Amino acid sequence: MMTYIVFILSVIFVVSFVGFSSKPSPIYGGLVLIVSGGVGCGIIMNFGGSFLGLMVFLIYLGGMLVVFGYTTAMATEQYPEVWVSNTTVMGVFLLGLLMEVMLVLYVLKSEEVGVVFKFSGVGDWAIYDTGDSGVFSEEIMGVAALYSYGAWVVIMTGWSLFVGVLVILEVTRGD
Amino acid sequence: MNPLIFTTILMTVLLGTMIVMMSSHWLMIWIGFEMNLLAIIPILMKKYNPRTMEASTKYFLTQATASMLLMMAIIINLMHSGQWTITKVFNPTASIIMTSALAMKLGLTPFHFWVPEVTQGISLTSGLILLTWQKLAPMSILYQISPSINLNILLTMAVLSILVGGWGGLNQTQLRKIMAYSSIAHMGWMTAVLVYNPTLTMLNMLIYIMMTLTMFMLFIHSSSTTTLSLSHTWNKTPLTTTLILITLLSMGGLPPLSGFMPKWMIIQELTKNNSIILPTLMAIMALLNLYFYMRLTYSTSLTMFPSTNNMKMKWQFETKRITLLPPLIVMSSLLLPLTPMLSILD
Repeated sequence: MMTYIVFILSVIFVVSFVGFSSKPSPIYGGLVLIVSGGVGCGIIMNFGGSFLGLMVFLIYLGGMLVVFGYTTAMATEQYPEVWVSNTTVMGVFLLGLLMEVMLVLYVLKSEEVGVVFKFSGVGDWAIYDTGDSGVFSEEIMGVAALYSYGAWVVIMTGWSLFVGVLVILEVTRGD
Repeated sequence: MNPLIFTTILMTVLLGTMIVMMSSHWLMIWIGFEMNLLAIIPILMKKYNPRTMEASTKYFLTQATASMLLMMAIIINLMHSGQWTITKVFNPTASIIMTSALAMKLGLTPFHFWVPEVTQGISLTSGLILLTWQKLAPMSILYQISPSINLNILLTMAVLSILVGGWGGLNQTQLRKIMAYSSIAHMGWMTAVLVYNPTLTMLNMLIYIMMTLTMFMLFIHSSSTTTLSLSHTWNKTPLTTTLILITLLSMGGLPPLSGFMPKWMIIQELTKNNSIILPTLMAIMALLNLYFYMRLTYSTSLTMFPSTNNMKMKWQFETKRITLLPPLIVMSSLLLPLTPMLSILD
């Protein structure tokens, strides 16, 4: 089972995405987002990116999702919608679940899967030891490169986020 | 809006488009698109009423979906080629998804439904920015990936856009919706020739922007958003009736005016490539466009449109002074003799 851990985690990932895409109340969406964040962190860690996985937990779940949870708790309604409270929500959730189950069965049964890109069954999802990258870890080097060679990316994303805040304030301020 | 914040947001719209046009890394292009989208939302919502909010929401939803499709195409391209440069899209699936995403951003059929509704819900100045500046970024990406675009999909979307743009505008009396359908049709003309000769796409874009800018500024000058309101300009500034006539006929593509130049070049380029039925169909469908432009000129400058006597005086405090208007009018009507100069667009 451990060789196929990435595949299992990716299935849980997709199922939790289906869970919040079927649009229950935002509180429950946030709950499922926590699960998907944790599982995504697990996927990244299996590829050797321990730093990035911890970043997901700390910044995404521990920073952004906490703020989201607080604001949603302030703006919530008296009877928030669960997945089973509304026929539409449950229908969409079950539909997404069904599609994922069919895809998983297709991947498990057949030798080669060609949905958008080809991969050969479950074998492609297993992590192999892909050569020796030396003393350093590749993904921390990537983060370091972001701040040195990729300074323009940092400037652009920083400006986008700043303008995002300005835009949100402007839109909610109204007149 | 606070002038400082308004300036910042406007500059960010410009910055977003500039980043899209000048980047060679797919991720930066996507960031540019997102920055552009995010910053234009408060510009669309400048007047704060439910109609503008609805229009901004529709715009945001469609453009965000298009950005997501673009990101998926970028990642598929990355998987199949292993690199992020924007020279060529290496996989046909990625190319088709990317073409659809950029068509959604431009407002080509079958993704044209948001254009009239969004343009109608916002003010004239915001509509101007939406229909001219926002077309630059997706068109520049289409230009850059034009060698690897699937011809069938692009030509189908182009021809259907010309049809929808002409046909859909027939029943409109609201000027912003007329301009929106005109935009859909012109985008169709631009993308039809993209695979054959991308220089003509740029030429058409240039002339289209000039003509649309002129039309919108004439509308802003007479503060009119409906055909009825436009038909009273003979009372306020009689000169603008003639200018509206000339500019509208130029948009329709009539010969001695500059709007004829892109259509002529495009038809010539298409026939050079041995497709004769297609440009014939396109030219015939452009007649639908010409019909509703002519209806506008008929009610504005050729006749005195029927209205009650106390509606004939238009009330305004002071004449809006648009300095850019005279050169724009000259450029959007008299540029035809300069056709040989289009080689500078290479």
